[in-house]
Amino acid sequence: MDSVSNRGTLRATPPQLKELRTLKIAVIHPEDGDGRLLTQQLQRIGCLVQAFWPPVQALPEGIDIAFVAVRPEILNLQFDWTKREGSPAVIAVVNYENPTIVEAVLELGAMAVLPSPIRSFGLMSVLVVAREAHKENRSLARRLRKVEAKLLGVRHIADAKAILMTTHRVSETEAYDLIRDQAMSKRVSTEEVASAIVNASEVLSLGRKKIESKS
Amino acid sequence: MANKDPIRIGILYSETGFTSTIGLSQLQGALLAIQEINEMGGVDGREIVPVRYDPQSTPSRYATLAEKLIVEDRVNVIFGCYMSSSRKAVIPVIEKWNKLLFYPTLYEGFEYSGNVIYTGAAPNQNSVQMAEFMTSNFGARVYLIGSDYIYPYESNRIMGELVLQRPGSEKLAERYVPLNASEKDYGAIMDDIRDKRPDFIFSTVVGESTAALYRAYADAGFEPRAMPIASLTTSEAEISQMGQGVATGHYTSAPYFQSIDSDANRQCLARLRKHFGEGSVPNLCWEASYFQTHIFANAFRLAGSDGIAELLPHILGSEFDAPQGRVKIDPTNHHTCLYPRIGRVDAQGQFTIVRQAKRSVYPDPYLVTHSLGDWTAKLDALER
Repeated sequence: MDSVSNRGTLRATPPQLKELRTLKIAVIHPEDGDGRLLTQQLQRIGCLVQAFWPPVQALPEGIDIAFVAVRPEILNLQFDWTKREGSPAVIAVVNYENPTIVEAVLELGAMAVLPSPIRSFGLMSVLVVAREAHKENRSLARRLRKVEAKLLGVRHIADAKAILMTTHRVSETEAYDLIRDQAMSKRVSTEEVASAIVNASEVLSLGRKKIESKS
Repeated sequence: MANKDPIRIGILYSETGFTSTIGLSQLQGALLAIQEINEMGGVDGREIVPVRYDPQSTPSRYATLAEKLIVEDRVNVIFGCYMSSSRKAVIPVIEKWNKLLFYPTLYEGFEYSGNVIYTGAAPNQNSVQMAEFMTSNFGARVYLIGSDYIYPYESNRIMGELVLQRPGSEKLAERYVPLNASEKDYGAIMDDIRDKRPDFIFSTVVGESTAALYRAYADAGFEPRAMPIASLTTSEAEISQMGQGVATGHYTSAPYFQSIDSDANRQCLARLRKHFGEGSVPNLCWEASYFQTHIFANAFRLAGSDGIAELLPHILGSEFDAPQGRVKIDPTNHHTCLYPRIGRVDAQGQFTIVRQAKRSVYPDPYLVTHSLGDWTAKLDALER
């Protein structure tokens, strides 16, 4: 047996670790033992740290991660910034584990939880994993939006083709060519032309219905 | 009435097992400092009494004995540990009882415990300087060999990344050997080295298996002038186990070498020889163990106690004229400002210091991406 091991050669340091010293972090936590330990350890790691307490309604631009002390006294506060597009990853710091607090943690959309009293050991791993999960979530959400839009467009094209086929008495291929020619000459996407056709047809048929009901 | 009770401190250096050569030298460093302190009248007239156990290079024994020191011997401060695995075993015990550990060993960084003072080098105080020196003098095609545990993995990651910042660089291999590796474990590696012809070899082999690596290299007939071994852990102690001339021409990066040309160092070595004879092999870990014991005693004088809450404020930010130069405990990360040096082994197994820092370098244990060309990595040339 070869007792010599060859551990994964050419290991590159993951970018998630390389970016640690460029991360902007908000610590929304009272200035107590935990708050100090948290900010000091983040500074040792080399992150750019700003502390806030009492909780703020809006965070400065460009914050990547926010540590939030979730305690009974903040339960009535609104953290609208957590719901916005491009919001930072939230890591909750908890000193209770009852359902009320856990519910508040879920409401914040926290990516990780740090129990109080905080220890310096483990903080860096939680930071990296929470940031990664948050980024992953965001990119999935973005992709989902794109896919949904695409799907809607495809449905509109199918509907538009059907409308053209009945109103203009053309084949499916010809109907599509009509949509594409329009898109080219108006410099818009085929989806947009299709959705205009669908809308127009709805308006027209509405008008027709009215006329029919009057006569 | 003044308290004249002796002050008991705990000592955990391995006197037997894989890492006993360094362990014994660290023990001597601590004992020498204790002797000096007691000869000068102790700490405010109180004698320092070491309570020492031999953890036998076994992490679980470190943990058990640390707890015994705290619970049965009632010490507040422990000096000890060498490999990261031993430190990781002791930290939970130290934190549980809120005691203090002084750790006199270089390690891979990425740690901070409020209950630990780290007096060995962090990677920004030895790896960066080594990479800068080796790549500018020998080239950037590197072959990495290490003992199979966490310190070498992380050290090699850092070294690999540093070297790859050079044009024409290449990481030729990354190989790991067991902690008890003997010369035959290096056979296949030496054949591979003969094929790949690196510009230099970076070794993170530790303990008694270090001697076997250098012997295997010598037996393979390689030429240190063309393809030296660079190390952060091969000290005078490891070299003394290799046989005459085996390590000659190889390089080590460390804050301390016996050959440092200063009165403080010469006098300290003379006192060591007087107390322990010619058999002791002072090295970087010996020196850290020596000066950290003095830093403790000085802090105790100011605090009047060795309870962690009273003692820590007097340790953090404190300075001491150590054999390597004036060191300082950094108050924000508990590591130590040290003087990086590069030494080349001479025919007597001592180091010719070829580069050294003019000013001490601030410890940055959480630095992920080191870069060459950082001013702290540039050392003053003493000779070429």
